[in-house]
Amino acid sequence: VTRLLALVWPGLREPDADARPFERMLDALDDLSPRVEAVDVGVALVDVTGLTALWGPERRVAARAVMLVRTVAPLAVRCGIGDDRWLATLAARLARFERQDAPAAFGVLERAELRDLPLTLLPADPATRQRFALFGLTTMGQLADLPRSSVGAQFGAIGERLQALARGDDRRPIEPRRRPERVESSETFEMPLEGVGAAALTLRRLAADLCDRLRERHLAPGRAVLELRLEDAPDLRVAQPFPQPALEPDWIARLLLSRLEALAVARFASAGDDAEASVEPRVASVHLAFDRLSDPSATQLPAFEVQAGRWEELRWSLERIRHRFGDGRLWQAGVERPTAALAEHRFRLMELDR
Amino acid sequence: MRQTDAALAVALETLRARGLALRRGSDPEPMPERARPSVPTGHAALDAALGTGGWPRGSLALLDAPRGSGGTSLALGTLAAAQAAGGLAAWLDLDGTLDASVAARLGVRLEWLLVARPHDPAEAIELAAWLARSALLDVIVLDFGERGMLERRALDRFGSLLARSGATATLVLAPSARPVVGAVAGVRVALHRSAWLAVGRDLVGQRVTATVERHRWAQPGSSAELDLWFAEGRRIDDVLAVAAQPRLELARPALQVVSA
Repeated sequence: VTRLLALVWPGLREPDADARPFERMLDALDDLSPRVEAVDVGVALVDVTGLTALWGPERRVAARAVMLVRTVAPLAVRCGIGDDRWLATLAARLARFERQDAPAAFGVLERAELRDLPLTLLPADPATRQRFALFGLTTMGQLADLPRSSVGAQFGAIGERLQALARGDDRRPIEPRRRPERVESSETFEMPLEGVGAAALTLRRLAADLCDRLRERHLAPGRAVLELRLEDAPDLRVAQPFPQPALEPDWIARLLLSRLEALAVARFASAGDDAEASVEPRVASVHLAFDRLSDPSATQLPAFEVQAGRWEELRWSLERIRHRFGDGRLWQAGVERPTAALAEHRFRLMELDR
Repeated sequence: MRQTDAALAVALETLRARGLALRRGSDPEPMPERARPSVPTGHAALDAALGTGGWPRGSLALLDAPRGSGGTSLALGTLAAAQAAGGLAAWLDLDGTLDASVAARLGVRLEWLLVARPHDPAEAIELAAWLARSALLDVIVLDFGERGMLERRALDRFGSLLARSGATATLVLAPSARPVVGAVAGVRVALHRSAWLAVGRDLVGQRVTATVERHRWAQPGSSAELDLWFAEGRRIDDVLAVAAQPRLELARPALQVVSA
């Protein structure tokens, strides 16, 4: 017997909601169960089969899930438990908050309880709903009791699927997400380094260390997250996506350093009123992480193009140039209407990687 | 006598093998020619006139061309030739006057061309230095247009960086900053229009004389005559070549060379 817990955050389902905490909420749920599925933004399914032996009644399992996600963001959540995806999500939908400021609502739905529920709860299109009404069908029990062949004849495959749901029969399995993987390395200095530039060698060494670890597993990073803890200033943190997944410590270190220097100049130049007195931050530790790991052999360069490899390498330099000079400098041209009278209509310029 | 000649030949050969420059009695002393990697100009005659087989890498080359006398066309031809040899190129377009559709028609592959638009001449030189430092580009064209307020020190620094990197040939189009760039450039080529090329009443190109006025690695003073076709003219060029075949029994197309 499978037991699934559905979690629905109404606050994340709104069109203009900030969905950024959702990923971290899913990460938090990984501590409860290894099988967590992100159904949609603001909807998650957790396989809680057998967890009652560990945590007690299902309501306490759900309470633990709520506690974990509220450490990320204190958003109200509906929880529902059932034997399959349909029952669990419907249970969450029907759960009622006991008071207006309650952090969570909880509900359990068993198959037998479906019979009395209205057909409007089924995920049917308006036309099908109207036809159900024409046939006098108003509850799930009425639809479930009809012979499957008759429903198929009248309502087609959609009708058969809806009838299966009305009977509480949803065989779609849970598809657990793969936890995004990252590798990290860090270094703390007994004597703080004078200035961001002094961290270059450490950065190169950490990048080489991480690249070696990933090379053995035939993986390459697509992004680096670098954090510098500073002695007398707020920490510096940059998340730098790479032009393409690569295992080149030199390229990575140079790119990160250029980004870091641009950031340090922007922050510390504006901090002091006296532009002449440059403030060199003192670096206490460096933490480097690689994520968005992928198989680099999947990145296929265009065949028979001599320039392709060098162009890919050039893009790393161009990224550094963008950090140094800002946007709006580097472009690529493409012919648009070659016979147009005005030059500006004949081609267009596209900013690189925008 | 013959034995003396043979002995002299052996002695000369030995000296040559040791790398010593030899010259006959009253011949002028040639400039020391060193093997210099280069980027083809796209015109065999100019490659020969330059003596290094093209624009030398690791150096600035000034295209001293008044407006409309083929500087841009020659630079685009160089980009096309460099790309055909598997290279990458960048065009620093200060005035925003580069017409990419013309570049494409002159054989430039836009997918391997970086177009940079710096805000001022000083930034253009700094940006070119960053690009040259990568050593991944074969040619950089610095088109300053009419904004020629260049700082000599910045150009000097850029020149020495290019020489250290040694990978990139840099062409400079700067009609209004000729003296400053000319003093730093390793190569200076002057272009003068000698004739228009016309088919019927349509001008399809121009004939220019390219004179190597300065060359740090080869003998200056040579010149070459180049036919630079306008973007549409290039297509006519092919038609002319085919139509000129006698077996087609067509009247010879009326390519006229009109005195400029």
